[in-house]
Amino acid sequence: MIREPISPKAKLLLGICSICVVIGLYSWVSIRQHAINPRDTSIPNAGQFVNGFQKITHRDEDVIFLKSEDVIEGRFKAETSDSVDFEMITDSGEEVKTIAKQEIERIQYSNVPWLWQDIQATSFRLAVGVLIGVVLSFVVGVAMGCFAPVEAFLLPPVAFFSRIPAIAMLSVYMVVFGISEPMFFALVALGIFPTLTQAIFQAAQKDVSEHAVYKAYTLGASQFEVIGEVVVRQILPRVIESVRLQIGPAMVLLIASEMLLADVGFGYRIRIQQRLMNMSVVFIYLILLGGMGCLIERALYALRRQLCPWFGE
Amino acid sequence: MHKQLTALSVQSVCHWFGLNHVLNEVKFEVDAGQIVAVVGPSGCGKSTLLRAILGTHPPKSGKILADGKTVLGPSHHVGIVYQHYSLYDFMTARENVAFGLKLDRTSILFRTLNYPAWRAVRAEHLRVADELLEKVHLSEAANLYPSEMSGGMRQRVAIAQAMIMKPKILLLDEPFGALDEATREELQLMLLRLYEENLQAIENGQTAPYTILMVTHELNEALYVSDRILGLSQYHSQGVQGARIVYDRAAPVFGTLDGRDFAMFETQKDEIRRAVFDAEHNQHHAEYVTFWDDRTKK
Repeated sequence: MIREPISPKAKLLLGICSICVVIGLYSWVSIRQHAINPRDTSIPNAGQFVNGFQKITHRDEDVIFLKSEDVIEGRFKAETSDSVDFEMITDSGEEVKTIAKQEIERIQYSNVPWLWQDIQATSFRLAVGVLIGVVLSFVVGVAMGCFAPVEAFLLPPVAFFSRIPAIAMLSVYMVVFGISEPMFFALVALGIFPTLTQAIFQAAQKDVSEHAVYKAYTLGASQFEVIGEVVVRQILPRVIESVRLQIGPAMVLLIASEMLLADVGFGYRIRIQQRLMNMSVVFIYLILLGGMGCLIERALYALRRQLCPWFGE
Repeated sequence: MHKQLTALSVQSVCHWFGLNHVLNEVKFEVDAGQIVAVVGPSGCGKSTLLRAILGTHPPKSGKILADGKTVLGPSHHVGIVYQHYSLYDFMTARENVAFGLKLDRTSILFRTLNYPAWRAVRAEHLRVADELLEKVHLSEAANLYPSEMSGGMRQRVAIAQAMIMKPKILLLDEPFGALDEATREELQLMLLRLYEENLQAIENGQTAPYTILMVTHELNEALYVSDRILGLSQYHSQGVQGARIVYDRAAPVFGTLDGRDFAMFETQKDEIRRAVFDAEHNQHHAEYVTFWDDRTKK
């Protein structure tokens, strides 16, 4: 029968089964591929995954990055008085190149493992971008929901901008901010702004009945108190929910822009490692991205339960 | 007997939406301590009148005074209990009741800048709220959220929430309309208890504490709970100009211990049906408006 409930035990079992099926299918494809070509890296096996993991969590002292356009990554070979033999990987493949000492000045040297660099860079960009976006949307959305003139003034542009694919705006932010951290912040913040603002505006207007507002006035509330004590508190769970739903789009924007323009971060690493066919690294990063998303989702659920115990599940 | 002050004075209130005349020279006064039921056919402008008294939608012409002061907007002089959305979802019963004290007696600046003092004041507010909850027999529900309460409990909390402000007049907008019969009767008894307190105060020469204007579509309820029935209707000789008070007479007064004998309402119910609800009975509108005359005769 439709909607027949199952026991919690069965539920758990089925959940575990589905994960096993995914892992099983992958292993089968991987084993078949390695039977054809033992050196294949496109569908890595367990051993390759271990290597991949070591690659991203350990860093040789001499592995360096070049800022240069065409160089992707490189490794010192030998050093003479005025030049350095440099094994590097370019778009065209591996080759050894001798570069002048002063060139090294431009080289960004880092011995922090990739994983930490990328987690730091990406989560910082995401956090700052989302924070700016949420604060902006919250202020504008609540103001629009509470004051008709603000709504009339701001709704047309907000509605219009929400129709422009946010990633297309990247070119504008590049011109305004250059290729820099603020560009990523702006892309994420302004990317989620129109949709989030509209959601908060709708909540402030529709979820707060006019009776609740009138009543607050009869209870002696000032204008600010109606907004702060009634409107905001009433819509808070919806705001948190809307923010949760915007984390996905924010991630898409950030990863896409990192793939295009960053020199550190999840998007950048995935693109580079994919080009090098280091799919073990790519897959680990993808799993981490999924994990990060789940973690943020859980955190926001917990936050909602903490701040709005009245809202229920 | 102590002369009670005029709690509410509605003076020649007219209201219209475009060409649609809703209220036509509505005028009446309510003394402190009265429980007045407003009845009328649907669409007669009861809600418009209520919103005008509340101050959210001022009348196009005429004046409304609460406690002698012109109503210019919603204020703590006029309290309201709605049929729906009567409580704030995000607060427990106790916090809902104490909400008025928090908003009215303290400011955002005080609450944020002087937090320790606010904690002390808050404790006092919650204590007063608990007292009121006890009055409406809901002490055990103090820490429940509205979503965890039954409809009857919510309305009782809503009445306590409005009463904490000690409004000059309390408006009830079909407060028990969505409740089942048993709960309804319980709440009607609660209003009768308040009325008994009024009578007690009047006897002691004090100002009666509760003045209530209640909109209801249930005639039995109106007759049982109130001590005066106001009929607002567009069915009178000048009906095209909007609704007027076409009925204003005393209702029988019941104590909380008296049985409810609805059979004895029948005569007055017939009278109200004829005067207020009958579209054919196109009478002179002042025929049944005799409350004050009857009172002076007494």
